[in-house]
Amino acid sequence: MSNDTPNHHPATKKDKPARDWRGLVLPIAFITLWYVVTSLKLVNTKLIVPPVGVLTTSFQELGNVDFYTGIGLSLWRDLSGFLIGSLAGIAVGVLIGVSRLADKIIGPTFHTARQISLFAWLPLLSAMVGTGDLSKIIFIAFSAFYPVVLGTLEGVRGVTSAHAEVARVYGFTKTQILTRLILPAASPQILSGVRLGLIYAWLATIGAEFLLVNDGQGLGNIVFKGRMAFNIELIIFGLVAIGLIGNAFNRIADKAEQGLLRWRAPAR
Amino acid sequence: MAVSTDDPNIFPAAPSTQPASVVPSQIWPHAGKLLLSLINTILLGSILPLVLFGLWWVAADRHWIAEQILPPPAFVWESLKDVLQSGELLGHIKISASRVAWSLLIGGSAGLLLGFGMGLSRTFKAYVFPTFDVLAQLPVLGWIPLLIIFVGIEEPLKVTAVSIAVVVPVALSTLHGIANIPRPLLEVGRVYQFDTLQLITRIVLPATAPSLFTGLRQGVMQAWLSVVFVELLSSSEGLGFLMAYSRSLSQIDMVIVAMLAIGAVGILIELTLRLIESRLQGWRRNAF
Amino acid sequence: MKRRSFNLGLASSLAAPALIGLGSSARAADGAKPTTIRIGFPGAGTSGRPLPTSGYTANVVFLGELEQEFKADNIKIEWKYYVGAGPALNEAFANGLLDFCFGHGDLPLIVGRSTGLKHKIIASSGRGGDVYLLTPAASQATQVADLKGKILSVQKGTATQLVLYRFLAKYGFTEPDKDFRIISQIADDRRASLATGDIAGTIDTPWGLEARGITKRLAEVHDDININAPGTVWVGEAFEQQYPDIVQRVVNRLVKVAHWSSQDANREQQYQWWTRSGTNAYLDNKKEWDRVKDLRTRHSPLLDDFYKAKIQKSIAETRQYRLTRRDTPFEGWLEPKYLNNALRELKLENYFPSQSVDGKFSG
Repeated sequence: MSNDTPNHHPATKKDKPARDWRGLVLPIAFITLWYVVTSLKLVNTKLIVPPVGVLTTSFQELGNVDFYTGIGLSLWRDLSGFLIGSLAGIAVGVLIGVSRLADKIIGPTFHTARQISLFAWLPLLSAMVGTGDLSKIIFIAFSAFYPVVLGTLEGVRGVTSAHAEVARVYGFTKTQILTRLILPAASPQILSGVRLGLIYAWLATIGAEFLLVNDGQGLGNIVFKGRMAFNIELIIFGLVAIGLIGNAFNRIADKAEQGLLRWRAPAR
Repeated sequence: MAVSTDDPNIFPAAPSTQPASVVPSQIWPHAGKLLLSLINTILLGSILPLVLFGLWWVAADRHWIAEQILPPPAFVWESLKDVLQSGELLGHIKISASRVAWSLLIGGSAGLLLGFGMGLSRTFKAYVFPTFDVLAQLPVLGWIPLLIIFVGIEEPLKVTAVSIAVVVPVALSTLHGIANIPRPLLEVGRVYQFDTLQLITRIVLPATAPSLFTGLRQGVMQAWLSVVFVELLSSSEGLGFLMAYSRSLSQIDMVIVAMLAIGAVGILIELTLRLIESRLQGWRRNAF
Repeated sequence: MKRRSFNLGLASSLAAPALIGLGSSARAADGAKPTTIRIGFPGAGTSGRPLPTSGYTANVVFLGELEQEFKADNIKIEWKYYVGAGPALNEAFANGLLDFCFGHGDLPLIVGRSTGLKHKIIASSGRGGDVYLLTPAASQATQVADLKGKILSVQKGTATQLVLYRFLAKYGFTEPDKDFRIISQIADDRRASLATGDIAGTIDTPWGLEARGITKRLAEVHDDININAPGTVWVGEAFEQQYPDIVQRVVNRLVKVAHWSSQDANREQQYQWWTRSGTNAYLDNKKEWDRVKDLRTRHSPLLDDFYKAKIQKSIAETRQYRLTRRDTPFEGWLEPKYLNNALRELKLENYFPSQSVDGKFSG
């Protein structure tokens, strides 16, 4: 085992550019097991549906226009809510970070409200605003809001007095301080907060679609319909779709983060 | 807020030959200033809540929002007292909390094992990490419909679902922590020819403790998030259930009571974690 | 600069909720006529396209009667369906999003009034029916007592909750929440749980599910007036005060459809239509309604003694089971004049048999 400690690098090119196929072992084993177990009817195939069935249903769904409409709607809600929440989050984060007065006034309420688990807001929200798109977007914005505020706060607080000196020497105006100094300096933390916000926004999108059920459309609704019709294939398909999209988000966010931070000198 | 003897606000006529040590006659102004700043903080911090509360009160009084949707604060207060007295609220809190506790135990241990496994063994990581990474992207909520079918709707469902929510952040943070162990530390271990157990207990664990703690914190937060979600979706007891049930009977006052309870428990957990964290930090510093 | 912008921001963010509240209750009105009439049904079916499930009020949708009636006035009819059933409908009404409801169960109806919702009962949406307690197909239970301590499922807040309580009371269980674990699930989850055996019992229509091998009937009750309560058609007080003539025209059409629905010749058509919501299979509709000899005893819009007695009994029950925390005044709730006018104009005064308090039909 000591040969496998993380810092023990064999200098050979054994595990360099070639893809590491070991990662596929588990999934393949699982799918094989799944296939065998259902073919031999070792389990209740109404519950543990054969993989072929899932594939068939998947193809059906992929050919269905409603599916794409559904994804489109979910994504639209997600991104709208995310944008609103992030922008508001950055604004509030900067405000609290820069102004001690604002921090004292808004801070306590903010941190207390943060303790109320996100989904706990849903029943009240849906009672007040209904179960339509508006309430979903509000909820998603809310979910993205907190992590972005926290990230921004951390970033802004990290702006050292040395930076502030520079700003004073150059005679920056307040706006310039904001755009040329604070935001760029805090950008790594802001971005990491925004990434977290993206994750939470997707979580909130799916969760809201499960809990704020109406006859609308969306990825969560697809899973819901699967439950309704007791169509397990559809449920699995929906889950996979949700996971893949979440994954895609992360990849895009990674690339974006790298791109945005590239201007920073590689001082690390 | 550091207080300096040079601060003219405190010592308006302080002569420059004043000794740096605090003299008894300077304690009172010092304490007074602290007290003042404390009151200042409390006052300022209360402005927003008071304004919101006032708004709520007026909105209910003037019927800006239907009272079936936003009940007046007095009503919520009545219901809160009601349900505290009858012990009902505590009952639900206990149930939700116990679910979180169990899930932390199960999910946390699993997460730690996974994290350590992947962090310490490259082979293990090569096999497991890709699958883990993909599965981790899937929000717990997504699992729930499937879980309901396979695990049923009783207690196992709730604990399973919440445990899954805990495993991911714990495992990831553990992995992250191990990957970031500074090399020199491990060198030290090699120089002293530590065996595996010593390696783990003397070097790996202390070095990864902050990351482990972050993971635990996130795990707790995820757990709490998921517990409420699962209980809202399908349950017969617990705080989320209380909210959903009250809502179906148009008792929004109880919904708000349940929200407040959830918030209160959340605050309690946060404070506890902070306490543990500060103790842990203290220990860390003392060790060096 | 910061303080001012902050204050501005604070003020505008606090004003937003008030504006939302105002916006949702504003409706387009044109003095003498509304531009839309918004009618709600509890339940949205499972077929993906929301449709009503059964009863003569459902037929109003399928026959397009109201669209016909108000076409010349350029008034649009908006049909709204709620997956959250009765409770969700209450919320929508509280938010000013509904004018009529074409079939509210007694429990959510009463809960709504007890929380101060202002509506007037203008007709009944139907009454009677059989009630079945279903168990999973593999269940070993042979009588209701076998389910003691086990999990029963019902969508809480809906009329079925009271139906379940009454059903259990009939079998001697007067404290259902103590004798059983009753969880809340919407229709589809209930059925899924029956299929997986996660619940021990629920109330539902058996035929379609039995055909799929999912459940079996543990106990059933036919036409017990003590178990089912009539459904209700209501109109919001604000709408009624503003447009009483519109209300009259709506009720006229309702009675016309009730008449149409009670003709034997129209049975098949109704069974077909009711399948479209997806909740009940054709088999369910046929089996249940073929047993009904005289459709006028089910599709009855009358606000007769039976109706009044039933609603008052339900009010008492909601207090008994602590489902409402405030009183529900019965006085001034019914507004029978529209119904009476409609019956007179359509010359149907003696068409629908009136039902007395003890369930007997006359006339």
